[in-house]
Amino acid sequence: MTGQAHAAPREEAPPIEAPREIPPDWEPSILAFACHYCAFAAADLAGVMRLSYAPNVKIIRLPCTGKLDHSYVLRAFERGVDGLFVAG
Amino acid sequence: MNTTQTSTKRGSVLIAGGGIGGMQAALDLADSGFKVHLVTRDSSIGGTMAMLDKTFPTGDCSMCMISPKMVEVGRHPNIVLHTLAEVTGVTGEAGNFAVTVHQKPRYVIAERCTGCGACEKKCPKLVVSGFEQGLSKRKAIYALLPQAVPNTRVIDADNCLYFQRGRCKACQKFCETNAIDFEDQGRDLELAVGAVILSPGLARYNPTIRPELGFGRWPNVVTSIQFERILSASGPFMGEIKRPSDMRHPRKIAWIQCVGSRDPHKANPWCSSVCCMYATKQAVIAREHDGAVQPTIFYMEMRAFGKDFDKYVDRARNQYGVTYRRTMISDVKEEAGTGNLVLRYAADDGTLVNEVFDLVVLSIGFQPHADAPQFAATFGIAENLHGFAATGHFTPVETSRPGVYVTGTYQGPKDIPETVAQGSAVAGRSMALLGEARGTEITTPELPPEVDVTGAEPRIGVFVCHCGINIASTVNVKQVAAEMGAQPNVAVSEDLIYACAPDGQAKIKALIAQHGLNRVVVASCTPRTHAPLFQDTIREAGLNKYLFELADIREQCSWCHMGQKAVATAKATEIVRMNVAKARLLQPVTTDSVDVTPAAMVIGGGVAGMVTSLALADQGFAVHLVEREARLGGLAAGVHRTLDGSDVQAFVRDKIAAVGAHPKITVHCQAEVDSTGGFVGNFKTTLTDGAAFDHGAIVVATGGTEYTPTEYGYGEDPRVITQRELEKRLAAGLDPARTHFLMIQCVGSREEPANYCSRVCCQDAIKNAIAIKEKAPNAQVTILYRDIRTYGLREDYYRRARELGVLFLHFEPERKPQVAPDGERMRVTAFDTVLGREVEFFPNLVVLSTGLRPHPASEKIGRQYKLTRNADGYFLEAHVKLRPVDFPSEGLYVAGLAHAPKNLDETVSQALAAAGRAGVLLSHDKLGVSGIISKHNRDICMSCLACFRVCPFGSPFIDEDGKVSHNEVICTGCGICAGICPAKAFQVNCFRDDQIHAMIDAATENIA
Repeated sequence: MTGQAHAAPREEAPPIEAPREIPPDWEPSILAFACHYCAFAAADLAGVMRLSYAPNVKIIRLPCTGKLDHSYVLRAFERGVDGLFVAG
Repeated sequence: MNTTQTSTKRGSVLIAGGGIGGMQAALDLADSGFKVHLVTRDSSIGGTMAMLDKTFPTGDCSMCMISPKMVEVGRHPNIVLHTLAEVTGVTGEAGNFAVTVHQKPRYVIAERCTGCGACEKKCPKLVVSGFEQGLSKRKAIYALLPQAVPNTRVIDADNCLYFQRGRCKACQKFCETNAIDFEDQGRDLELAVGAVILSPGLARYNPTIRPELGFGRWPNVVTSIQFERILSASGPFMGEIKRPSDMRHPRKIAWIQCVGSRDPHKANPWCSSVCCMYATKQAVIAREHDGAVQPTIFYMEMRAFGKDFDKYVDRARNQYGVTYRRTMISDVKEEAGTGNLVLRYAADDGTLVNEVFDLVVLSIGFQPHADAPQFAATFGIAENLHGFAATGHFTPVETSRPGVYVTGTYQGPKDIPETVAQGSAVAGRSMALLGEARGTEITTPELPPEVDVTGAEPRIGVFVCHCGINIASTVNVKQVAAEMGAQPNVAVSEDLIYACAPDGQAKIKALIAQHGLNRVVVASCTPRTHAPLFQDTIREAGLNKYLFELADIREQCSWCHMGQKAVATAKATEIVRMNVAKARLLQPVTTDSVDVTPAAMVIGGGVAGMVTSLALADQGFAVHLVEREARLGGLAAGVHRTLDGSDVQAFVRDKIAAVGAHPKITVHCQAEVDSTGGFVGNFKTTLTDGAAFDHGAIVVATGGTEYTPTEYGYGEDPRVITQRELEKRLAAGLDPARTHFLMIQCVGSREEPANYCSRVCCQDAIKNAIAIKEKAPNAQVTILYRDIRTYGLREDYYRRARELGVLFLHFEPERKPQVAPDGERMRVTAFDTVLGREVEFFPNLVVLSTGLRPHPASEKIGRQYKLTRNADGYFLEAHVKLRPVDFPSEGLYVAGLAHAPKNLDETVSQALAAAGRAGVLLSHDKLGVSGIISKHNRDICMSCLACFRVCPFGSPFIDEDGKVSHNEVICTGCGICAGICPAKAFQVNCFRDDQIHAMIDAATENIA
């Protein structure tokens, strides 16, 4: 992709979007990818111990974090998540 | 079952003790077709290992390792758990025992209990928790630990308000499945089994016997097992390091070693084998938890004798700033007002020092349970001098009663991997004893044919579980179910009080039939423990068990968002929606199986190889034993006696004769492996002598060699010899009278280039020293050492040597002894750290305790089979703690010195373990392939070899056409190949990219 960009330079590169102001009541939406054997088990243990944490994180179970694919990361950000947590 | 046929052997085994050793034996036996009765006196299996935070030397989380095994034991169709139970009598003989068991009342009906824990929450009575070592409280109805197996609570009648005062019954009131039974009387069982395995585990020394150390008096003096709980994330302080008196964070922490060990007067005479290492681990982990902690370990001798242990201690010292002080603490006093503790000790220069610590940890040792004599009498076995099960040096897992085997710390103090190895060893011994009865007492359930769902539109059933009030008090379960009912492809969506209870499962099955469901989503608890249960449920209803998804809305939602009903309900809805999205794309998975050749190849004809071969052949498997030398025997052929005086030569001769006479064993001497092809269950090997054969398993027992020293003038002066040469001379009748023998330890060990303990040399030196002094009391023996590592029950011989007048002198590696000829004698000078000056000796003979090295052949074998070796050249096992004799590659096992230096009894244990593990594999006619594996699409694969390089198991391989193929038999489904494959030619069943993408899309549906 970078190769193409160099081959046919546009007249003017689009301006880089300035970071937006973060509203004070903003809550990020976080997606986690967790290994079945360790991090997913740790998330279970947090529940067993009744540890309280913010509800805006959802976990997708993988057989191993080695299974993580770049397409998952890109798709998640494309779809608007604010942060990814990969644990294993 | 026909109990009248007393002449035939039973296909079942009783295991007494539910710790890691018993669990390993249970799984090995159950996996190879034996019925197992696992009897434990606790309310849950898990034993001591379940109490530990981390394990040495890798720092792995103990619970993370043992919990999946506990679940596996709890769910295994061939294992029956008898908790809160004890064996009361054993009659009969090997192959056919009648065992009586008394089970105490649990007061909770396991068949009805769903493990939801509502009773525990409502119980008003607080009791000091024994599991948490008195550091926190539990309820009168409780689970031993959060991950208890079985997950049925138990009522502690001694503390229950109803039992003590006749009123309360809160648990009964709030139990929605009516599982509480105050009338439970317990029961007596009679079991008929073929073999008995003892794995009762250990008790710990009670440190109040030594009041000078202040335990029980000063609150900030804790035991090592208390500190283990303090470190644990699920412990009383949730992993935060605090001290009991004021909950402050301690900075200076002292460990006092050998509390209750190596002291025949006020404690136990033996060494507990593990305390040096667990103290080091605790110090390291404490530093990791809190960088301000300054650990000091006060010790007599650093016994880091195991594989990679010395390197771990070096790391603790150099990277974690752990201070090691070789001095004993005589007493601990509390400083008035601060709660701090004053330790008085002799510094290196001999001056007395008072040092103040915030917290003191007593490294308490192991001992047999208080009722060990009764236990031994019940099983009719002999005890040794110290109350452990008596075993022979060459028969380390056999008790005095045939058919009764022992594993773990009841055989002598030992660590986790040795216990696990012995667990597999006793399983192997039982398999050899009961081989012909394999498969006779297990049942396989009849299942209906699977419904063909190919091409059918998904019809998903969603079941949202209340889990009593566990989920329903936080999540609006009915609302979640209603919302799911509106999702595309969802044919039915209902809520259930307990999805996992029998009525819940019956309802799921009924609705599958009624609505023609072809996918099922249950929203309840964690898939880690409950997915297999529901998978079985839908399979019984005719659905392929991979058409199932479990949405975790309890552990990962209701339990961590209590009191936030709206947000928790919204989150639960999203979680279930993600799983429904995935379920829409689920496909049935068919699992293949391959044949297994019931034969093994054992590489190496030393003790490890011979014992493995015999144990496998006794199980009925053909064995090819390959030895590169002209004759069998290996390194042990040069050893005459063991530390306890057993005759090694006779043992080796017996084994060589037995191997030669066994009809199932083919010996290939003066031969090496030329090539091996194939995979687990189906290897084909050609030897250098042309012999070729098929086999299902490979045991690598390539052994070791003795180091030939270049130090201290060896080879230049004939008066400098090795321990082995001395042993040979003593065996040949050397008269030691009026001779001075000076022994130097750690020659070629514990320093570069061989920076590890060879484990056997201390025993060798003490063995020869005792032999000399017993033969000629007027002979003089001096041993110059760094640490005397007579671990476990070997400590008896160290004491015996001292009693016989053997002189021990400690030296530091920086100031090694100097050896030079001096007329008719040798002159040895050494720096005495106690006297603080040089001392001279004039021995007749200088005897060097030389270390062990891996056999040079192991390098080639490692290359041939792609087996990793550690920095010192010893083979790396699949898992340091729980898979000590397996290689990561399926179908390959390791035993003996090829794995690490060890003593002969340990080699025998490990060899029996390798035979047990290989026996589990070879006992199957067919090897089932797991469902969750990576599937390879050859049509789009570019054979870039990315997968080939990253797969830890060697599943992708270069096929005959030069392109990549994938061996699904050895695939574990980790998906590393799928992650790295640029063409996406690998997809893992149930974790396919389209399924994960669908989950991401569902998770982000509501993001603006």
